[in-house]
Amino acid sequence: MIDAALSSSGTQIVLASSSDENYPPENILNGNTETFWISTGMFPQEVIVRFRSLVKIALVTMHSYNVKTLKIEKNTLNDTLEFEPVAEKEFECTEGHLQTNSFSLPGTGVTHLRFIITAGYDHFVSVHRVTVDGAQE
Amino acid sequence: MVKLRARCIVVGDSAVGKSALSQMFRSDGAHFQRNYSMTAGVELLVKSVNIPDSSDSVELFIFDSAGKETFAEPCEKLWGQPSVLCLVFDLTSEASFRNCGRWLERVRTNSQGQQVPGVLVGNKSDLSSRREVEKAVAQNWAQSQGLEYHETSAKETENCEAPFVSLAQAFYSMYQDRIQVIHSLA
Repeated sequence: MIDAALSSSGTQIVLASSSDENYPPENILNGNTETFWISTGMFPQEVIVRFRSLVKIALVTMHSYNVKTLKIEKNTLNDTLEFEPVAEKEFECTEGHLQTNSFSLPGTGVTHLRFIITAGYDHFVSVHRVTVDGAQE
Repeated sequence: MVKLRARCIVVGDSAVGKSALSQMFRSDGAHFQRNYSMTAGVELLVKSVNIPDSSDSVELFIFDSAGKETFAEPCEKLWGQPSVLCLVFDLTSEASFRNCGRWLERVRTNSQGQQVPGVLVGNKSDLSSRREVEKAVAQNWAQSQGLEYHETSAKETENCEAPFVSLAQAFYSMYQDRIQVIHSLA
């Protein structure tokens, strides 16, 4: 098992719906929960992550703050034109510390993962880290 | 540089000038609607406000919504999660001022406990001889509700920018506050 969601393993952000140059979406993939990407107002918000090659996923974990509902979609294509839903969850509100939520998705093959935040506990939400336990093909 | 996006809902009784005010702001005073046409649903206008002394801006998505009771309820669903609130009344109609409390209640029910910066706007300040609501009275009530008070005349292009600029500023300050909070978590 490796963490496939690290920029050091060739994983990239291909789209983020908000951008503050001080808090770029690449902060999600640097393995450090002290840096983050922040949304800059209104919902929904989304981030699309591209893996270097097909990854067989076991577990996806997100460290975030004030996210209320998250939907995860995936595809196995080379582009980002179509996605299919894989998971949806309402997070608990955690005042004063980060939210940590895991999604068990055993054996799911993906080239892209799309994280859609449909609602927040505040106007602005942050995502600090996403880890993807899986095996790269 | 950052561009924030805020959902600004404009509410208040019908015919107080919500659409006129929104459109005057949107068009920089170029477009005053002379004839009244009732807004039955929600009209969306978009305008960016620059934040002074920064390269940042706030893009306001202005949801100008129907004031008429019959249409008001379905409109609430279109508000979504409001970021900021512009509550408008007519300075020449005491009834429209009295109803502000009810409008505020409605918005608060929709904002799920979130802090929503707001302004109270007394419009039609050009009709001074017909004024029914004193400035001090409106100001006191606004203050008691945590709203910033502005008087405008959409017709005379008087002060139309101020309420929206102040909402953009408030939203921007809130963003900076939240960043501080998030930094302190890590």
